[in-house]
Amino acid sequence: MLDVGRHPNIDLLAYSEIEKVEGEAGNFKITVRRKARYVEEDKCTGCGACKEKCPTIVPDAFNEGLGERKAIYSWFAQGIPSTHTIDSNYCRQLQGKKCGVCAKTCQAGAINFEQKDRIVELTVGAIIVAAGYDVFDPVKIPEYRYKKIPNVVTAIEFERLLSASGPTAGHLDRPSDRAIEAEIEALEKKAAKSQKLVAKFEEQFNQSSADFYAKFQKGEYKDDEERNKWAEKYKEHLTIVEPLEVMKKKAEGFTAAKRLAFIQCVGSRDFRFYPFCSGYCCMHSIKEAIIAHEHGPDTTSTIFGMDIRAIGKGFEEYKIRGGNHSNISYVRGRVAEIQDGPENNPIVVYEDTKERMVKSQEFDMVILATACAPTKGIYELADKLGIELDAYDFIKTSPLSPVDTSKPGIFVCGCAGAPMDVPESVAQASSAAERAAEVAFEGDVRKEKAVA
Amino acid sequence: MSKDILVIGGGIAGIQSSLDLAEMGVKVHLVEKLPSIGGKMAQLDKTFPTNDCAI
Ligand SMILES: Cc1cc2nc3c(=O)[nH]c(=O)nc-3n(C[C@H](O)[C@H](O)[C@H](O)COP(=O)(O)OP(=O)(O)OC[C@H]3O[C@@H](n4cnc5c(N)ncnc54)[C@H](O)[C@@H]3O)c2cc1C
Ligand code: SF4
Repeated sequence: MLDVGRHPNIDLLAYSEIEKVEGEAGNFKITVRRKARYVEEDKCTGCGACKEKCPTIVPDAFNEGLGERKAIYSWFAQGIPSTHTIDSNYCRQLQGKKCGVCAKTCQAGAINFEQKDRIVELTVGAIIVAAGYDVFDPVKIPEYRYKKIPNVVTAIEFERLLSASGPTAGHLDRPSDRAIEAEIEALEKKAAKSQKLVAKFEEQFNQSSADFYAKFQKGEYKDDEERNKWAEKYKEHLTIVEPLEVMKKKAEGFTAAKRLAFIQCVGSRDFRFYPFCSGYCCMHSIKEAIIAHEHGPDTTSTIFGMDIRAIGKGFEEYKIRGGNHSNISYVRGRVAEIQDGPENNPIVVYEDTKERMVKSQEFDMVILATACAPTKGIYELADKLGIELDAYDFIKTSPLSPVDTSKPGIFVCGCAGAPMDVPESVAQASSAAERAAEVAFEGDVRKEKAVA
Repeated sequence: MSKDILVIGGGIAGIQSSLDLAEMGVKVHLVEKLPSIGGKMAQLDKTFPTNDCAI
């Protein structure tokens, strides 16, 4: 990634979109919109002092909303370019309020609230589309209760929970536990404030609130206006402190998730959604189970699937190693439903097709291996490029020319064309690069020479 | 006739195409809609089958 940022032959246009495409192979005219970051790319050193001071907290999309960032942010810590960006939907200054704290903090003078989108015109001989994919939204499968049961998460969310640079610093803290911890933090702030108010009265009357309130409830001090105020404030204080204590007791028992269930083919091999196999999800469930076991050696994982597809160099061995060394059991069966259980433990209801029985089992956390879905922006992009999509809205190709699109001079690689893993994406990328260079340098040889 | 090449998307696929072309001596314009390149792979903790770090 770093190499892309500093290669003299690569003109990196990040935070940019394709506006218009005209022309044909050998001579495409491209209009690119460089979106305003409100930060000057050539001045920003990426030091991040601005985001320390920014008062506006925003859900962090890079962490799948499981963490928070500021209105001025870098997409992720090692991002290339490292230039920070101001999110105009949240920034106080850009929303017309008074702020500008980042501008005052920035030593490089890189903040520019007046920055506008810029238009760049390019002329190119060939185009490679590598626009990738989206993760299937499991809300579409109501029986899995994603977003309803907090400890049912997607595999990409789970990647962020496993990551040392993620929102939990790599600890497998359950979302339901994290929600309670966040509530405790908020209540503690409120409690500290109300404690201050109550303390004033305690000082004034030289008496503890508990002692005073017991007497007040018995009917003492009824005509004392000041003490009536005290009683009211103390009552309010109790409505904060009492649930806070209950929650804190509960939180003492929180431990990392240890019993994991992975549900395969969520949206894939399912005729309601995508009939195809996404290819990589069996492998990423095994991977996530292996890493979870590395984090906590007493972690156990159950992978529920119709079959485990480990087709690739070294993949079957990886699957077996996971089973032998990482406490993974593979259960052949399709999960019918996920129910909410006690202590926020999801219950997986499934058919064990080996034993021909419907069973249910409780877990600490359930991870959904979601399908590879076409990326949202692909319709607009394909329209601008004048290329065709296939039946599932991936870019159309044919088996004997897997990186050629329907339009000469435009090529595709990676998940924009079909679901595939990283090794395959990289192989296609090199292939698309070679095809694009052929067109740009000598005209399309395949037009003149025989095709396999 | 232009010898420059446009790559749309800066995930692992777009990055690899760009680097291959750049190493061949071709001028590449890499357009990414997000603030940084890396795509989904940057979000992964480690990658199968070697469990190497994703970034
Ligand atoms: C949970 C999970 C775990 C995985 N683990 C592994 C693993 O361990 N090993 C493995 O081999 N594979 C794994 N995969 C699969 C892997 O994510 C993909 O194979 C790989 O990321 C595909 O790369 P890509 O470049 O095609 O797409 P992407 O990574 O999606 O990149 C596409 C890029 O294009 C940008 N873009 C999109 N539209 C536009 C546009 N209109 N204009 C400009 N830019 C645009 C996007 O912002 C993005 O940066 C995993 C997948 C998931 C969901
Ligand atoms: S790779 Fe596995 S989980 Fe993914 S669709 Fe294929 S069979 Fe289902």
